[in-house]
Amino acid sequence: MQKGSIAFWLFWLSVAWLVVALAGTAFLLTGLYSRALETNLTNQLKFSIDALASATLDSTTTDLSDVSLRDARFDRAATGWYWVIRNPSGDALAESRSSIGTVLPTIETPFDDDNYRADTLTDESGNRIRAIERRVTSEGLPLWIMVTGNLDESVALVEQFRGQTLTVLSAVGIALAIMSGIVARLALRPIGRLSKAVEQVREGEAETITGIYPREIAPLADEVNELLRSNQQIIERARNQVGNLAHGLKTPIAVLRNEAAAAKGTPLAKAVASETEKMSQLVSAYLDRARIAARSAVVGKKADATTVMLRLARVMEKLNPNVTIAFKRPDASLPWFRGDESDLEEMAGNLIDNACKWSKSAVAISMQTERVNTNALLLIKIEDDGPGLSDEEVEKALRRGVKLDEKVPGSGLGLDIVKELVDVYGGSLQLKRSVLGGVLAELRLPSARLGGLPPRSPT
Amino acid sequence: MRILVVEDDTNLNRQIKDALTEGGYAVDVAFDGEEGQFLGDTEPYDAVVLDIGLPQMDGLSVLEEWRRAGKTMPVLLLTARDRWSDKVQGIDAGADDYVAKPFHMEELLARLRALVRRAAGHASNEITAGPVRLDVKAGKVTVDGQSIKLTSHELRLLSYLMHHKGKVVSRTELTEHLYDQDFDRDSNTIEVFVGRLRKKLPEEIIQTVRGLGYQILED
Repeated sequence: MQKGSIAFWLFWLSVAWLVVALAGTAFLLTGLYSRALETNLTNQLKFSIDALASATLDSTTTDLSDVSLRDARFDRAATGWYWVIRNPSGDALAESRSSIGTVLPTIETPFDDDNYRADTLTDESGNRIRAIERRVTSEGLPLWIMVTGNLDESVALVEQFRGQTLTVLSAVGIALAIMSGIVARLALRPIGRLSKAVEQVREGEAETITGIYPREIAPLADEVNELLRSNQQIIERARNQVGNLAHGLKTPIAVLRNEAAAAKGTPLAKAVASETEKMSQLVSAYLDRARIAARSAVVGKKADATTVMLRLARVMEKLNPNVTIAFKRPDASLPWFRGDESDLEEMAGNLIDNACKWSKSAVAISMQTERVNTNALLLIKIEDDGPGLSDEEVEKALRRGVKLDEKVPGSGLGLDIVKELVDVYGGSLQLKRSVLGGVLAELRLPSARLGGLPPRSPT
Repeated sequence: MRILVVEDDTNLNRQIKDALTEGGYAVDVAFDGEEGQFLGDTEPYDAVVLDIGLPQMDGLSVLEEWRRAGKTMPVLLLTARDRWSDKVQGIDAGADDYVAKPFHMEELLARLRALVRRAAGHASNEITAGPVRLDVKAGKVTVDGQSIKLTSHELRLLSYLMHHKGKVVSRTELTEHLYDQDFDRDSNTIEVFVGRLRKKLPEEIIQTVRGLGYQILED
């Protein structure tokens, strides 16, 4: 998890909360436990006092030396467990065996309404003790019965409890932290899916974002789709406007050009002829550029190459009745072209047109799949039986902005737009020598993953 | 040869008409799709120059309408849209060729000549009948290699008969194909021109088929 990620923040926020909550819990539990121990100790001590009091009151003599408690803790010295019965002047009338030889501290606070008083003191051995004293009257004599218990034992128990609590709660905390990490990941998984889907759109593998998303991010997916649509529309509109402008200019240019040709020889005609030539070149150059620039909007499109090539072959045969076009029909497994149908038509159309122009009588078209590593490319071969090109001419033809020969009617090779489009699609164009004698043009283009298969319907 | 030009730009329309007239064609013009469609439907043309972007009815619809009605005359599309997808669309609609704007008039003429020739079943630019040789491209006629001077009307008449060599061509057909729609069909100009042609050419070249019309025999 990197900093700046939602999962990161979710994780650390929940960890911080866990630490606070668990530490609070540990504190609270320990406090409760310690209070419980203290209450318990007080009850024990009171019980002992009551036992001593009743023994004292039962005693028939004023000699209290045989008064005792059965609790063995009061027998061992220096344990903090003591009892003593004193008169108000402080003389011990009876005491536990544990306190023999020591001087017990006294409680300074006054007795309450129930004749009790309590305090926390320290004995001679350094034990912290809890002392409770009761004032009774036996046969007219006031007696102070004090019982003490060792507080340090309780503190040790509390410490031990705290240690255990912390261990358990830490384990719980770590488990919860891990779980919250996992939950954060799981909760964010749809976002990952969404980003995959957007990536697919960008890669041209899908036209829109598909799939079912949780309610929180479904609107985002919808918005992205809406954005794509409106983007597409804006580009389409801009493209149409540029196209309309450029195409609209063509008729006036044609008129001017013809007028200049009719008035051949005059200076005006010469100027008009050369300027209209420039205008016409500009118009077509910018039209091409606008088309190419709009190409980045062509996402998620694919075209059936076989259909396109069949259609082109049919049209070319009509346009060139002297040329026989041999179309080798590929098998049905041929992948589709990943891109715009009219672009494929433009690339292949120009290449076939060239082949027809230069050929003596025969043009051949074939298509196949070419596998490079894991990538499948669509390979289109177009060849003719014309004069062919020398290596030098091939090199020239593939260089940008160079037209080979203007003698054949209908401009040069028309390779510029082909080259540009091939670049846009990340394909390649090679010109080789054909076995027919002329040029063999090899056009390699990206293929669509799905191929000709229709999208599977959910069953 | 009678040609229909459908183009909404008046200047371009005039230029094409002038160039075609000069090239020896009888030319009718239309400035919108509906008019063009009607003319093409009702008059016998040897070829049509059809712009795609037309008011009232676009060129492709006009063309489809003609083809649906069984009209087979060759159609040359004039189009500003020169992408192959546009061309393919045009050819699929029934066009025989296209010329992209802005074009050179010579190219338009060359394409049109080729279309007319192809429609008549001739492979080359030269048509011969015995000693008579017609160069379609240059509009020149020679007899045994000797150049013959013909007026444009005489050339049109001879050219039509040569293109339809072996076929009997009626006087009505000749009138329809040699003159534009404003021509006065009742006049006997055809006979006059046939007479003049016979004087300039070997007499037996143009045969009269009584009651039917004229014919240039196959070699």
